[in-house]
Amino acid sequence: MATPTKTAITVTVNGRPRHLELEARTTLAEVLRDGLGLTGTKIACDRGACAACTVWLNGRPVCSCMMLAIDADGQAVTTIEGLAQGEALHPVQEAFIEHDALQCGFCTPGMVMSSAALLERDPHPDAGAVRDALAGHYCRCGTYPHVVAAVLAAAERKS
Amino acid sequence: MNRFAYARPGTLAEAAAETGLVSEAMVALSEGAVLMAGGIDLLDLLKSELVTPSLVVSLRGVPGLDAIAQDAAGNLAIGAMATLASVAEHALVRASYPALAQALAGAASPELRNVATLGGNLLQRPHCWYFRSPAHHCLRKGGGHCFAIRGESQYHAIFDNQACAIVHPSTPATALVALGADVELHDAEGAARRLPLEDFFVRPGDDLQCENALRPREVLTAVHLPRLAEGTRMAHLRQGEKTGFDWPLADVAVVLVHDPDGTCHEASVVLGAAAPVPRRARAAEQVLKGRRIDAMVAADAARAALQGATPLSRNDYKLALFEALVRRAILAAAG
Amino acid sequence: MTETRTETFPSGIVGVGLGSVTREIPVSEPPPWPPNADLTWIGRPVPRLNGRSKVTGATRYTVDVRLPGMLYARLLRSPLPCAELRRLDTTEAAARPEVRAILPLAKPGDRLRYAGQPVAAVAALSLSDAAEALAAMDVEFRPLPFVVDMDEARAPGAPAVHDAASAPAGHPSGFPAAPGLPLEGNVRGPAVVRRGDPAAGLAGADVVVEGEYRTQVHTHACLEPHAIVADWRADGLTVYISTQFTAGVRQELATAFGLPLSRVRVVVDGMGGGFGAKSQLGLYGRAAVQLSRAVGAPVYLAFDRTEEQVDAGNRPGTVQRLRLGAMRDGTLSALAIESFGTAGVTVGAGIGFFAERLYSCANFETRQHDVFVNAGPGCAMRGPGNTPGAFAVEQAVDALAERLGIDPLVLRDRIDPSPVRREERRIGAERIGWSGRHRPGAETGPVKRGIGMAQSLWMSNVQTNVACEVRILRDGSVEALSSVQDIGTGVGTVMAQVVAEVLGLRPQDITIRIGDTEFPPGGPSYGSRTTASITPPLRTAATRVLAQLAREAGRMLNAAPDEIEASAGRLQVRTDPTRFLAFRDAAALLRTDRVSAVESRLDDYGGFRRRMPDAAMALEDLGGVQFAAVAVDTETGVIRVERVVAVHDCGRPMNQLLLESQVQGGVLMGISYALLERRIMDRRTGLMVNADLEHYKLAGIHDTPEIETVILENLQGNSATDAYGIAEPANIATAPAIANAVYNAIGVRLTSLPMTPDTVLAALARTGRS
Repeated sequence: MATPTKTAITVTVNGRPRHLELEARTTLAEVLRDGLGLTGTKIACDRGACAACTVWLNGRPVCSCMMLAIDADGQAVTTIEGLAQGEALHPVQEAFIEHDALQCGFCTPGMVMSSAALLERDPHPDAGAVRDALAGHYCRCGTYPHVVAAVLAAAERKS
Repeated sequence: MNRFAYARPGTLAEAAAETGLVSEAMVALSEGAVLMAGGIDLLDLLKSELVTPSLVVSLRGVPGLDAIAQDAAGNLAIGAMATLASVAEHALVRASYPALAQALAGAASPELRNVATLGGNLLQRPHCWYFRSPAHHCLRKGGGHCFAIRGESQYHAIFDNQACAIVHPSTPATALVALGADVELHDAEGAARRLPLEDFFVRPGDDLQCENALRPREVLTAVHLPRLAEGTRMAHLRQGEKTGFDWPLADVAVVLVHDPDGTCHEASVVLGAAAPVPRRARAAEQVLKGRRIDAMVAADAARAALQGATPLSRNDYKLALFEALVRRAILAAAG
Repeated sequence: MTETRTETFPSGIVGVGLGSVTREIPVSEPPPWPPNADLTWIGRPVPRLNGRSKVTGATRYTVDVRLPGMLYARLLRSPLPCAELRRLDTTEAAARPEVRAILPLAKPGDRLRYAGQPVAAVAALSLSDAAEALAAMDVEFRPLPFVVDMDEARAPGAPAVHDAASAPAGHPSGFPAAPGLPLEGNVRGPAVVRRGDPAAGLAGADVVVEGEYRTQVHTHACLEPHAIVADWRADGLTVYISTQFTAGVRQELATAFGLPLSRVRVVVDGMGGGFGAKSQLGLYGRAAVQLSRAVGAPVYLAFDRTEEQVDAGNRPGTVQRLRLGAMRDGTLSALAIESFGTAGVTVGAGIGFFAERLYSCANFETRQHDVFVNAGPGCAMRGPGNTPGAFAVEQAVDALAERLGIDPLVLRDRIDPSPVRREERRIGAERIGWSGRHRPGAETGPVKRGIGMAQSLWMSNVQTNVACEVRILRDGSVEALSSVQDIGTGVGTVMAQVVAEVLGLRPQDITIRIGDTEFPPGGPSYGSRTTASITPPLRTAATRVLAQLAREAGRMLNAAPDEIEASAGRLQVRTDPTRFLAFRDAAALLRTDRVSAVESRLDDYGGFRRRMPDAAMALEDLGGVQFAAVAVDTETGVIRVERVVAVHDCGRPMNQLLLESQVQGGVLMGISYALLERRIMDRRTGLMVNADLEHYKLAGIHDTPEIETVILENLQGNSATDAYGIAEPANIATAPAIANAVYNAIGVRLTSLPMTPDTVLAALARTGRS
């Protein structure tokens, strides 16, 4: 049996290849937050039950706390820090602010990532589709009504 | 999580050979190697240290395991590494096996469905809170008794619950059993075998610590769905406490084959979240066969489906719930 | 004696009946504000100013703080519901190279009273190093008899959770407040509140309704866990902590560690939810500071989700036996409640003052008891006491209305003296379609719909130990500073609106610096008091600092300072606005780089109802009425809330958008409480089986109904802003409104929470209605 040591991997994070050395047991969420300092990705339940840790893996939203970082070797990850284009916010981000789709904000990065991913694959969702896309997200402050309004407004704006 | 080594072999044989007991997380409390598909369930078990493997073998390096393809005869093969999302979105699945698509759409959350695989979903370990709690050394983990039977059993089995009251956690399995799916298993020497999914799951009476018939050095590689007969109709219904992203309190899959005259001549009624394995409600099926299905027949079948149930102190509500759901699923399938 | 002047304030509900009230106010106070319609920023739906940093992930929460050389701590916790610590040998753990410090939190011989009670803390190089160190500790527990179920704990012969010496008295959050109550077995109490003669009132009643209501233990489930980074240095202590009260934690730290306040700094930027659970430093906080002091390095300590569920506070569960007597016309002749509640190993499981104050009833009594069980300590949670209290009272009032054959709204019009809630009922009834409400259980078919309502009651709290500073800098920029923290309400945005209103600027022109005890003391963000406490002194400070600028501007514009007004980015002569200076040009005239004013919270102009150290209760209570429309599937037992109309008041509404968010949040937490959440304890092992977010179920986006929010502008002429709170009232009425709607749908009253399918089906089966 091989002795567990650190493994070198390369993950493209927010468009930049990042070379990382990590233990196999490190989750993607942990390496983003602690290895790369991208603390916008949040860990709340640490079990995939709240989706606060959502990032994009090759463009699809996933729970980064439920994935080993080593499994992302060679793949592309987008985090909340990589969503805006420079100073220009993503339409979902703008709409979240305008519609007050956030309160304490801890679930917000995950909500934003899943909402933006929805608009990538379905530019004109109805409220039901928005709710389906966000079914895995918990918000303890209760922002859901404003989140639905914000995503629908962002879809309007994008088109 | 304990420290472990990680391997990502390029072939199935290598993957199978590297592992003693293989299949996602089928080595609870052992210190061997474990095979990882999407890893959702395995990470949960690793984080609780219910599994402490020395080696995790990822199947992500094996090409082709995520394929979804129809053969010339019209049967559909779904690779074990296909994600729940990719199966649910697949045009053939949606068109021909809508009950499966419905079951998949209700499984986990969108973020998890993008990673979780069909194989991993079928092989996930029970979500019984006693099983998942490191503080409860339950029967299934080699302990002395099932805590649920005299404890907090609201989400537990109402059938086959004398020894261990888990329910099988896979919702897609409910639909797949109703659809007559097979699983394909490969071992390290390259030998393959197929068996009906219904027979793949193991009851507590047969093995208390393992939920399926996977052998050492064997990998689940595909799920095969038979081409459906003319006149087949189906439905899957689930009911959770929450409307979205919740374990079902009850889920029901119904597959019916109707004659041109509207008589039901084949019926498959399967209850999920009712027993340690997806449960064929054969008595209900008998009620349906040879009948034209109406509300009365559906109600009779639903009552029959619950015959022999042995609810625990906290879950007798499931009887009424299942009865309603079975009746509605039969009527939904019958159209 | 403060010099005063007389001012006339608008008073009453805008759009309903606006009168005026005359107040004597200190001369330093700004003049009355007109209703919001005549103001520029106050009341407007201004989006929160820190929104950008939240949607980009830039906001730094405590769990995101990373300091150079920081160590990571974990807590060893008791695995048993009751045990004696026999041995705690940390030699081997301490010898591990990654371990920097170990701190025992219990000693051999100590009794540990709940599963999850901290036993020791360790600081190591990484979180996994710390976890491995815990596993390396040689620790032995002797199991002791325990009880986790409240009913069992009340029974004779139940294992005693406490002895007389260890049993807590009084109440940490004041419900009920009485100290020195008798202790018998596991029961502390009763705390009795009484007026008139309840027995006579019941005997003389035309109608008596009785009922027993149960509410579950409800955890706060903040998404950001409890977290702290303690940085002890020779020249002082800096603590980053996820807290609802920076200034309070600073005081606790100074006391606990014998430090002068001037050497203690507490900081919070992003704060991921509190709801009452993050009001204090806590044992974990003290442990982190001790570890930091021991090793001379910053120490990070955050709970995992299991810890958060078992040892981070909870809303206590209750059982309430209620008797309500009334005359034929609805007049209440008696209200008597006996309650037992459990806050685990501590006290505080009362039912608040909801029953005591909401309705007119001459003969009244509550007898409230705390029952100790071997479970994690409860603490205040969004509307503590009143939330479980409302579940019982509001259903009983509906039951009474039915017995009397009076519409529930008409009955409340007779027994509720509040003119504000009367208006709220009228508005809500219209919006929900109350006139189309059918009789209970009237619908046929398996899915039955119904409408119900319930009322809210909360006190208008004010923190008097609150100050803030407003600065104008010579480049024309403006800062507002306070140690007050934004727990998600957007208080910083409201502060910017206040300052902008006074200075004639835009909210985004104001730099808000909060969440740091280096700034003047802001109050706590609990008890729905933040806006009420911080905005009046802020307005006064802004007015004062503007006067300094007006002096300079006046000189330049040849006008007296009091002739200068600020408007639309200018300082201008009130009588001749063509004479003006741009705000920035006026600021450039300042003699120094900045001018500043610090003001503290005065008493309400009309006085307070009650005064506590550092805090007070305003004269008028907060109201709120909620209506719910539900659909009940009588075959599956599933309740869906389809619509909620929430009509609330909070004095002068400061920001419609943020208020709407808070009301939606209160309603959603109420729906979650009503239908889903419950701490489930295994009686045989004494452990919480759903200490996660998988089987501890929170309402998700699919469980969210359409929520219509109406917020009254209820002016009272009580302070420079007349603003009060809303967070708690928005939560209190939801569960009973749903329960009353369920009754209307199915004709069966559900008397225990949560109303899950099993309880619905059981209730239907009992009454033969399934």
